[in-house]
Amino acid sequence: MKPVSITPLLAFQDVSIDYGPFRAVDGVTLALRPGETLGLAGESGSGKSTLGRAALRLSPLAAGAIYMEGERISGPIPRDRARKLPGRLQMIFQDPMASLNERAKVEYIVTEGLMNGPRRLSARERRAVGLKALEAVGLDGAMMDRFPHEFSGGQRQRIGIARALVMDPACIIADEPVSALDVSARAQVLNLMAQLKRQRNMGYLFISHDLALMGYFCDRIAVLCRGRLVELAPAEALFTKPAHAYTRALLAAAPLPDPDAPRTAAPAWKPPKGNAPLRQIAPGHFVRMDGEG
Amino acid sequence: MDRTILDIQALKVGFSLGRERIWVLRGVSLPLLEGESLAVVGESGSGKSVLVKACMGLLEGNGWIESGKIWYNRKNLALLRREREWLPYRGAVMAMVMQDPMTSLNPVRTAGAQLMETLRLHQGLKGSAARDAAAALLADVGMADPAACLKRYPHELSGGMRQRVVIAIALACRPRILFCDEPTTALDVTVQAQILELLERMKAKYRLSLVYITHDLGVVARCAQRVAVMYAGQIVEMGLVREIFYDARHPYTWALLASLPQRGVRGQPLYSLAGAPPVMTDKVRGDPFAPRNPYALAIDYEREPPAFSISPTHWARTWLMDPRAPKVPSPALRQVRRLG
Repeated sequence: MKPVSITPLLAFQDVSIDYGPFRAVDGVTLALRPGETLGLAGESGSGKSTLGRAALRLSPLAAGAIYMEGERISGPIPRDRARKLPGRLQMIFQDPMASLNERAKVEYIVTEGLMNGPRRLSARERRAVGLKALEAVGLDGAMMDRFPHEFSGGQRQRIGIARALVMDPACIIADEPVSALDVSARAQVLNLMAQLKRQRNMGYLFISHDLALMGYFCDRIAVLCRGRLVELAPAEALFTKPAHAYTRALLAAAPLPDPDAPRTAAPAWKPPKGNAPLRQIAPGHFVRMDGEG
Repeated sequence: MDRTILDIQALKVGFSLGRERIWVLRGVSLPLLEGESLAVVGESGSGKSVLVKACMGLLEGNGWIESGKIWYNRKNLALLRREREWLPYRGAVMAMVMQDPMTSLNPVRTAGAQLMETLRLHQGLKGSAARDAAAALLADVGMADPAACLKRYPHELSGGMRQRVVIAIALACRPRILFCDEPTTALDVTVQAQILELLERMKAKYRLSLVYITHDLGVVARCAQRVAVMYAGQIVEMGLVREIFYDARHPYTWALLASLPQRGVRGQPLYSLAGAPPVMTDKVRGDPFAPRNPYALAIDYEREPPAFSISPTHWARTWLMDPRAPKVPSPALRQVRRLG
């Protein structure tokens, strides 16, 4: 890989993560550039969520390191760096029914992060920041005093996004942010995320199993299979010239919303063992040399 | 051919929530043809799951059938009240595959025990006969090692294998109609493709009529012959799958198709409907879709549109189809960005 001249927003360096004897993530090296949306694709068990959680220090690494804007954020780090982290890196969760505290009002949910923030804010200042965040996600300020159960799924996901925004992060990890939503709410939330990204130049690590969705939303896509990175490419190239057999199998399996679409049988493919290297086959297009061709 | 196996006529279902009555189905008419695959699509709250529950006599305690008929074999199932009356139909005529196999299987009993229980109750099989029949069913749904699978608990099986067990249990009663409520939403795409293929194979083998309840239009395009689009407790458009995908006439169907990321152009916002589906109390007047409908006419706020016929197989409930309505060009829906 050519050295990148800009400091990546978030960088995974040879990251491995174990669950007991099981290696969930195996030597993944990946960098998210500022203002970029990088997709992490793969099936359940591929390690994509584990990798995202590791950036938030929720899963300990067995090997490797994770860097945010050039500073190591994995393993033992100085206390002040750990305190600063939530202000740079935030997460949006999959299920807006499960990720909001049912007993708390929206105001508390959205502004809780500010209580431990680097700046000491008064209750009134926190409320003002919360109101601004709600406005930014298209919710009415009067909703601050309501409870989560009074909202639809799409609105709840907006609350989850507002909760991330109050910290003014440079990077958001979005783990299946729309897969629990209906199509129309899904379009609303995706449009909102795209708009916020443009306004604030945030980077997204967009974790999903839906390749078609990622093809629309992501700049680059990394495909994970059983904890290993098998292909990394600009979104367009991944769809037009998928190089790894696993990527092709994923693309073939997704049903298209078009009754006349040809039904392609997924190519037969077995996950290989061993440690084939990643190779660059086109500018920015990397593929692991065990399922190419 | 084209014989109606289940005829739902003007079905109206209410739920009481506190003091309010909510109409979850508002006069749904839907003939299910023998041997067909029918998809019912719509957002959550559109009533698509309640439709299936009403057909199987599984409405929750606060729900009731207000009016309408569900004809099966010259018997009106909407009149059945007691559990015992449902026994010859539920399972035996109609079976159901639900979304999450982890919650539809009993976690503390083996797959074999659950399958053999169904065989005993519905086919009177016992002992080794039940075990052989269970193993045969599991082989049928594509389990590699049926004998070993019988002894497995649900948590020892993968999501796809669990859904195969659920399908085997549904088929154990030899039903004629299989309702699949989001059968693959909880599964990975590669597993989803296998399960959809399995359902199609089982449909041919057991001569089933399949009803898919889903909001995934990719699944609809792959599996269904006919599509019913539901909104606020009513079918707003009904047609053959190609009529719905290429010649949709209802603005809600347009919105559903246009909001798909697959059709989106990178960097451009997706089409999205503003607002949320209404709660259907008695107060709603006119077409409940009108407030979200960019093409709404004055009459939409006054009177609900009737079904306008487009072809013998295709109709839509929108005033735009009235000859007096202004001509609205339907969005170019054929432009699908092909993958791979």
